[in-house]
Amino acid sequence: MKPIKHVEIVDELNRLMAEELEAFLRYFQLRYRLRGVDKLAAENFFQKAMDETLEHAEAIAAHIRVLGETPKLNIKLEVGGGPVSLKEALNDALIFEQQALNAYKDMLPRVAGDPGLEDFIRKQIATETEHVQEIAMLLE
Amino acid sequence: MTETWKEFEANEVTHSVAHHLVAIHEVGREYGGWARVSDIARWLGITRGSVSINLRNIKVRGLVIEDDHRQVKLSEQGLKIAQAIMAKKAAVKAFLRDVINVPEEQAEIDSCKVEHLISQSTGENLFRFIKFLTSDDPAARQALSQFRKFEDS
Repeated sequence: MKPIKHVEIVDELNRLMAEELEAFLRYFQLRYRLRGVDKLAAENFFQKAMDETLEHAEAIAAHIRVLGETPKLNIKLEVGGGPVSLKEALNDALIFEQQALNAYKDMLPRVAGDPGLEDFIRKQIATETEHVQEIAMLLE
Repeated sequence: MTETWKEFEANEVTHSVAHHLVAIHEVGREYGGWARVSDIARWLGITRGSVSINLRNIKVRGLVIEDDHRQVKLSEQGLKIAQAIMAKKAAVKAFLRDVINVPEEQAEIDSCKVEHLISQSTGENLFRFIKFLTSDDPAARQALSQFRKFEDS
């Protein structure tokens, strides 16, 4: 895959930031769809997931600033739905995290040679891989 | 064409589902019908996460199939629905642009808004009406010509 131009890097980073912030919003809403014991059991998991997605989004926004641009957020999201079980919620979480991981993996070869970004994307891949594995394990 | 309309009426398709089916159809055009989530997301201007969540429900309804690489393709039923949506969109757009002179860009936007909302019978009637109006039938030519004059007056 060819290295990408400055404007394309910024576009990709904006898309990654949107993935993270949308995941944050989905986690935020999803935890209110849990009931009873499931809600109690998942409280820490969801709080941590929200904290991390927000941290990731901030890190991406900071990279966009370093590139001399302003983060541009494009999210079209409407989430509803009734109560869900913990298993259903984790299945949703697995989808967000897997897609974030895929997005970072796709980005990696495109930023090869840019030390700051390449290092950042590698770290994100490691972190997201851990998240995916953790959720997959919880679903076993 | 009639069979496609009938199939479509049997399915309740939301705006979101309609867009996803058409996106898969368009994105997959060059790849034997197969589309990647990232490309669908880009085509729709939404995140991969949203596409994946939406695709889950679309898969359950049997409208798409998935391969081992997580690429998706329209099922036979999904393809019929996508084609019906696109046919209705084309009919509405042609009416707006060619009959009532709505600019191309606005016709595209407005036809997109109603493509999945109008009924089978309305779609078929509209299609026939446009076919007639844009035909060589002298009455059709005269009607269009009269309308243009009326517009200019």
